[in-house]
Order: sequence, then structure tokens, then C-alpha cells
Amino acid sequence: MTIVSVLEWIESTDLSTTIREGALPYPIIGGVHLLAIALFGGMVLATDLRLLGWAMVRQPVSDVVRQFRRWKQSGFVLVISSGLLLGWGEPLKLFRSPSFWIKMALLILVGVHALVFQNGVYRNPTRLDEALTPRAKLAAALSLILWAGLIVSGRLIAYDD
Amino acid sequence: MILASSVFEWLATSPWANAMNGPEWAFPVVQSLHFMGFALSIGTIAIVDLRLLGLAARKQTAAQLAADLAPWTRAGLAVMLITGFLMFSADAVRYRVNPSFQFKMTFLALALLFHFTLHRWATGARVAPLTARLAGGMSLALWTAVVGAGRMIAFV
Repeated sequence: MTIVSVLEWIESTDLSTTIREGALPYPIIGGVHLLAIALFGGMVLATDLRLLGWAMVRQPVSDVVRQFRRWKQSGFVLVISSGLLLGWGEPLKLFRSPSFWIKMALLILVGVHALVFQNGVYRNPTRLDEALTPRAKLAAALSLILWAGLIVSGRLIAYDD
Repeated sequence: MILASSVFEWLATSPWANAMNGPEWAFPVVQSLHFMGFALSIGTIAIVDLRLLGLAARKQTAAQLAADLAPWTRAGLAVMLITGFLMFSADAVRYRVNPSFQFKMTFLALALLFHFTLHRWATGARVAPLTARLAGGMSLALWTAVVGAGRMIAFV
């Protein structure tokens, strides 16, 4: 069983056909994906900008990091699940899209980023209330770069034909 | 309306429209910047809205959040509007008659108007909790309509 045959099976499912060929499902799921990017992406940006000392500087770092965590997690789940549905609709197209694979590589780097910086920055933000560490700033800068890369590569998927 | 359509035809042949229609990468790059701009603007507005609704960032007041995020919200709005205008210019004649585009522009105007009037008032003043909730909910609904209609443009 090859990967392509699995993808062909996915594309033959009713759900995939409905997402791909229905008038409304694709734009609606795409709209949810975009809204989740605005909501979740905005919170990621706000957290990163706070860690860099560029925004919300009057508010304690720990408040910003802690209060947005749950929302970022919910947004992440929403982005991933709507993205999975979009992918379920046209798996063969994505398989052949270089931008899609760049986006997946960046997503893996997001996971690596979380593992590397979880303990030093995001899980123990109280220490950062006194002074922002170089490590926290590096975490924020890398997060912003990954974030921008995800948006660009995601948008480019539509042009990979 | 003859005047209006000649403006749109002129827009579609403007230098920046030609630039948008030139290299293959121009449109996706500007579109990506548009996404970043609205994530920054709508994302920071949504933070204030969720606070108005009493759902997020409750250690801060809505006024504090709105004041602290305002420069970023405005920067995001600027990027969003400039890139949006560039994309519109690239194919002005066709966008103008697209129902989703018209819907989006209507709600964009309402959302901006609301943002700089009632929303600003509701975050700045000591308003009743119900008023704050209404303002937060209204703002989220308006921006949701803008993004949703934006996504529909390509499918209509």
C-alpha cells in the first residue's frame, strides 16, 4: 500500500467529496481556518511582542503569558482541525504541493520550539516579570519568524498548481 | 455610475495594479501580508473583545488592554488596508461586482466605524457590564463577517 493509494482512498470518501465539491463547505471551513488564525495568531503575536518588550509593557509578562495560554491552545486546536478538514478535501493536491511540505516542516519546528522553550520561558513566566531574558526574546523572535513562515507557505499552497 | 466605473477602470491600469499583475509572486506575497495585517489588527481587537465579554485577560482592564495594544492594532489595520487596496486594484472591475466583496466592504466600513466610536467608548469609559459585553460581542461579530466574506470572494 503506497501513500498515494491511501490519499486516493481519502479523496474517494464522501466527506472528501463534500468538502471538495460542495459550494459551501470549503469556503466555510476556510473561513473558520482564517478566523482561528486571526484569533490564535493575534494572541501569539501579543505574547511574542510582550516577550520582546515591544507591546503591553505596563502589564506583567506572567499575566500576558498565562492569560493567553488557554486561548492560544483552543485556537491551535481550531486551526489544526479546520486545516485537517481542508486537507481531507484535496489530499493529492497537497501531497504534490512544495509549499504544503514547507508548511508541515515549519509546523514540526513549532513543536520543536515549544519543547525547547517551554520550561525556560512559557511555563515559568514569573521570573520574566523582573527582567526579560535573552532566551525569552530569542523564543519570541523565532516564534514570530515561524508564524510568518506558516502564513506565507499556507497562502502559497493555493498557487502550487 | 459612469464616473465610478471609469475610476475603477483607471485603477485597474494604475502602476501599482500593473505591478500586482506583473511577477507571479506579487499577488501571493501581498496576500500573505494582508493575512498578517488582519491577524495583527483583528487579533488584537479580539483580545479586547474577549476582555469586554469577561472571557480573557481578566487581570487587566479592557481600557488597559485597548491602550496597550492600540499602536499594534493601528499598524495591523494600516497593513491590511494598504495590501487590500493593492489586491483590489489588480482586478478592480471584477471585484467591484463580486457580491462577497461588496458584502465584505459594507461590513468592513461598519466594523471600522464601530471600532472607532462605540467600541472605543465601551473600552474607555466605566460602562455597565452588559454594555461592555454587547460591545465585545458586536465587534467580534462584525470582524467575523469581514473575514468570512473575504474568504467567500474567491468562490463566488
